[in-house]
Amino acid sequence: MAKTRPPVYRAGDRYRLRISDDELALIRRLLDELRDLLLSDDDGSGATSAMLTRLFPVVHPDDPELEAEYQRLMRVELVASKLKSIEAVEAVIDGRGASIDEAQLTAFMQSINSIRLVLGTLLDVTDDPDAEVVSEHDDTAEYQLYSYLSWLLEWTVRAFSGE
Amino acid sequence: MPTTLNPVEVKDPDLDEKTVEERPWVVIVWNDPINLMSYVTLVLQKLFGYSLEKATELMLDVHQKGRAVVANGTHEQAEMHVFRLHEHGLWATMEHDA
Repeated sequence: MAKTRPPVYRAGDRYRLRISDDELALIRRLLDELRDLLLSDDDGSGATSAMLTRLFPVVHPDDPELEAEYQRLMRVELVASKLKSIEAVEAVIDGRGASIDEAQLTAFMQSINSIRLVLGTLLDVTDDPDAEVVSEHDDTAEYQLYSYLSWLLEWTVRAFSGE
Repeated sequence: MPTTLNPVEVKDPDLDEKTVEERPWVVIVWNDPINLMSYVTLVLQKLFGYSLEKATELMLDVHQKGRAVVANGTHEQAEMHVFRLHEHGLWATMEHDA
């Protein structure tokens, strides 16, 4: 049986994605949703707030003054960085199978993980093996999507690690 | 005219403040249920140049002990480390070295 190529792999000193058009279209939609979330006004409550908190963690939990100062200086920069990664991944998708460099693969990895963080927060994912939360979700479309993105990220890590 | 200074007027807070300000900061990565162990290891290698062994050791500390100090430095350096960790989606904070 022929060995199939993984979805992300190293090709010389560059990398290639082997992802179907349907999957790329799905990733593009998720990137749009991530962009909307990054640009949304946080109302300080509800699911949106929880997702944004996970994307922009508190840096100084014990010092509100330092925290406010950090967020004032860095939050905009972090939003810009995440938006730039999304744009880079969209360019990769538009490149239709062309090889990509390390910076592009890094953007891909960061954006896929950002979507996982949002989905995982929404699903209340836990790493407690005794918890039943996962089993309650594991037949939902969202959880299947989360698992797919985890699989994609794992292969991206392997491509970076030269495996 | 008094020949000695009133001790109440003698204060030198600058030295103490300076000492506090110059105390190094540590960057802490916290355990979270979403980030993959392999991903955390790769990010630590990528951002800090750690060997696979060192990065794996730190990742396991994060996973098993709940947190690990992954870097230290000045306030500015620590902020930059935290920023880059957040770019990669890791849950990082910073605090004065104990």
